[in-house]
Amino acid sequence: MDTKRIRNFCIIAHIDHGKSTLADRLLEHTNTVSPRELKEQVLDDMDLERERGITIKASAVTLLYTRDGKEYMLNLIDTPGHVDFSYEVSRSLAACEGALLLVDASQGVEAQTVANAYLALEHNLEIVPVVNKVDLQQARPEDVIEEMEHTLGILPREVVRVSAKTGLGIEDVLGAVIDRIHPPKGDTAAPLRALIFDSEYDEYRGVIVYVRIFDGSMRRGDRVYMMKTKRMFEVTEVGIFGPRMTPAERLGTGEVGYFVANIKTIQDVEIGDTVTNFNEKAQEPLPGYRKPLPMVYCGLYPTMDTDLVPLRVALEKLALNDSSFSFEPEQSPALGFGFRCGFLGLLHMEIVQERLEREGNVNLIQTAPSVTYEILTTGGQVLVISNPDKMPPVNEIEEFREPVVNIKIIFPVEYMGVVMKLAEERRGSYKATEYLSQRRVMLSYELPLAEMIFDFHDKLKSATRGYGTLDYTFIGYRTSNLVRLDILIGGKTVDALSSIVHRDNAYARGKRLVKKLRREIPRHLFEVVIQAAIGSRIIARESIKPMRKNVTAKCYGGDVTRKRKLLEKQKEGKKRMKSIGSVEIPQEAFLSVMATNDNE
Amino acid sequence: MIMQRELTHPNALYIHIPFCIKRCSYCDFNSSVYQPDVASRYVAALEKELGGVKDHPYKTVYIGGGTPTAMKEGQLNQLLSAVSSSLDMRRIKEYTVEVNPGTVNARKAALLRWGGVNRISLGIQSFKEKGLRLLGRIHSRRDALDAFSVLREGGFNNLSVDLIFGWSGQTLMDWEEDLTEVLSLDPEHLSAYCLTVERGTPLARQIRTGSVPRPDEESQLDMLKKTINFLDNNGYKHYEISNFAKKGYRCRHNVNYWKNLPYVGIGAGAVSYLNGRRTSNIRDILSYIERIEAGRSAKTFGERLTPRRRAAETLMMALRMTSGIKEKNFTVRTGFTLRELYGDVIDRLCVLGLMGIRQGRLYLTRKGVFVADSVMMEFL
Repeated sequence: MDTKRIRNFCIIAHIDHGKSTLADRLLEHTNTVSPRELKEQVLDDMDLERERGITIKASAVTLLYTRDGKEYMLNLIDTPGHVDFSYEVSRSLAACEGALLLVDASQGVEAQTVANAYLALEHNLEIVPVVNKVDLQQARPEDVIEEMEHTLGILPREVVRVSAKTGLGIEDVLGAVIDRIHPPKGDTAAPLRALIFDSEYDEYRGVIVYVRIFDGSMRRGDRVYMMKTKRMFEVTEVGIFGPRMTPAERLGTGEVGYFVANIKTIQDVEIGDTVTNFNEKAQEPLPGYRKPLPMVYCGLYPTMDTDLVPLRVALEKLALNDSSFSFEPEQSPALGFGFRCGFLGLLHMEIVQERLEREGNVNLIQTAPSVTYEILTTGGQVLVISNPDKMPPVNEIEEFREPVVNIKIIFPVEYMGVVMKLAEERRGSYKATEYLSQRRVMLSYELPLAEMIFDFHDKLKSATRGYGTLDYTFIGYRTSNLVRLDILIGGKTVDALSSIVHRDNAYARGKRLVKKLRREIPRHLFEVVIQAAIGSRIIARESIKPMRKNVTAKCYGGDVTRKRKLLEKQKEGKKRMKSIGSVEIPQEAFLSVMATNDNE
Repeated sequence: MIMQRELTHPNALYIHIPFCIKRCSYCDFNSSVYQPDVASRYVAALEKELGGVKDHPYKTVYIGGGTPTAMKEGQLNQLLSAVSSSLDMRRIKEYTVEVNPGTVNARKAALLRWGGVNRISLGIQSFKEKGLRLLGRIHSRRDALDAFSVLREGGFNNLSVDLIFGWSGQTLMDWEEDLTEVLSLDPEHLSAYCLTVERGTPLARQIRTGSVPRPDEESQLDMLKKTINFLDNNGYKHYEISNFAKKGYRCRHNVNYWKNLPYVGIGAGAVSYLNGRRTSNIRDILSYIERIEAGRSAKTFGERLTPRRRAAETLMMALRMTSGIKEKNFTVRTGFTLRELYGDVIDRLCVLGLMGIRQGRLYLTRKGVFVADSVMMEFL
């Protein structure tokens, strides 16, 4: 296809603003799929995505559209909507020249809309603003357009009004894509340069690599070379997504499609790498994008020991299709063998867990999420730790740093007070207030990520009756007054229960934890003391009084077997508990502390 | 001193009578409402089963239930005759029958006495009307006092009374009054049981549905402490968790259980412990009768314990007695020394003040008695 007739674009939108429905209409309108074929939301082919209404993995589809007798190739590259996936958004953006910025006519501009729009602008993308759901009763397109103008400097006359549901305005959207988004600028004669923007593992064909060709072209039989991983492969198939994989003769400059090259493992393919021709290599790779580092960690443990191997297999499989997810084996004194897993954010974590349970068929125990910290040692070394266990002794710590994010919260103005209170309680430092319209406002704060990941989003939702939305971007590591909070049971430190907290919160958290444990640990034959400590200083203490009465009144000849079996059964139950010294701690006790909902 | 013979030959014979006039709300024993024709067949079956086990050198016989005296005099007489004609009665030192108030009169008392019975365990449970009602007993306080005097007058000089404490609504004062009242009867032996709400009983159901409040553990504990102090001060030695006796009146039959020595049980659901093997008869009364009538064994369950398990069980039972167990006897009965099996556990429990060792005996302290089950668990 002549590059002048190619348009590469994506749709960026907040969850529920109708991205998938719009994509469906575009597919339908261009006869890419017939209405009969069109299962709802073709682009989201994972169950989970459909259920949650979010797109997790980037995907692509080629639409062939004829206007004024000219055929155009419109490549729609799907992007995930959520903040956690801004990395995936950015890799999709890198493959496009333009973006449809979709906003719901009743919901208005949300935090994600802003974040993703900025991201698109950073990539020098042409933005086509679209207001969706204009047919709804509660639609207020004028207000929403005003919000878009305020936040993003969009000219009201440029906004396309559609109803993805009814198909109203779809023609205009296609028109705007062709007229406003410029065609790819590549050099057809230059050596091949293709950007890898996604990959997928197929059991039969190996890795399927999603590419956007910037210069040159790729054909079946070509020997290609990955410029970063420095590996060579022979292409066995190229094709486009129509939306199913459709083999093609070649992929030309500016086109979007896939290639298969007998690549055995996903590790051989790095997203963001440049593919060139082995025999005629390009001089410079395309500007790639940094691989995101996991920011949020948690432990995942199988509920049953026998599930350990299935869990590992499931994690490996998942990592194949999700390069932003990482894991390593871990052993917890409380929970046994499991894995410490890294995620881009909380939603990413939730999705991975659900996918594991569903696809891997394993029941999981998830420990409370934590972030990575940086420690500057007195020896001048910078350690990155994600587990309190790995913390060096206090006297070797010169500086303790935690990740800080810039958070933008958009909500109706009447919730200003509660939102500010929430942000300040979470050690947020105020940055700015911007009025999007008469009714809605955007607050910016700098907030430690650790405060953000716990339950900030839930709290925000409940404080704003569901209207508040947020997005965050990582700023960097900042020095903070952090301490390690230890829990001692019977005078012994329980490693699994240690956590890193801000000194100001340590006291309250310590108190809460020991209270919680007191409820969960059964009475023993002796008094059980539970303490919270910072270093050698005890900051909270609870005790469980010894068991007072546990005696069977009657036990004669006919009762012996029953009695013994009963005691044996109880003893079995105790064996499943974890002994710390002579204190037996039920798994539930660990869970109550380590599992997510720390705040009650 | 334990004789080798005791380890291999059963000293105790238990005969189960699974009939009552009415089932009590708390009871989960094997019993059903008395039906004369079933009872006749049942006694005949017992006679037959007894024939197979009569040659052991029994020293104690215990007819329990249920309520043996719920049966008609003829049936009771038939059973007593079968016992006295099958066994060498000169060897029998203790012959107990369980009696409940409302099922005994002078004639039945005389019948028991003539049959060779020398000890009665009378199930009074409470002198309080509200207690008797809650426990679902068929008798009144008056009936209980009458039964006791009928038995005393009938010539029994070894009477034991069962009482239950810790039921919902009972105050410490109520219990003290019961204890005082029972002392006025001057029985030789007393069993004071803390109420256990057994699963599947009407009482458990009432508590679950909230029509009866759950008994309070703290007040049960207070009552247990009270019981021990009060009875100890009045000449009744606390010799087992729930049992008290005047000097020379411990229940020999039950002590045999607590020593984990062999015994034979006959009747529906009865358990035997012979040659290291524990067996039990089928619980269902008609099935029991049918099997015996057909000349088959009534046994449905058997277990042979590993030496370690048997040792644990021996200790578990022995620790119920305040005298505990002599380390030497433990070794004779189990083949292990206490040290080799439980050295660490014993040390730990002694440090906690739950156990003690005195003159070669390992025993539960008073504090240990209150949490006996938890302590015993340490040995399993």
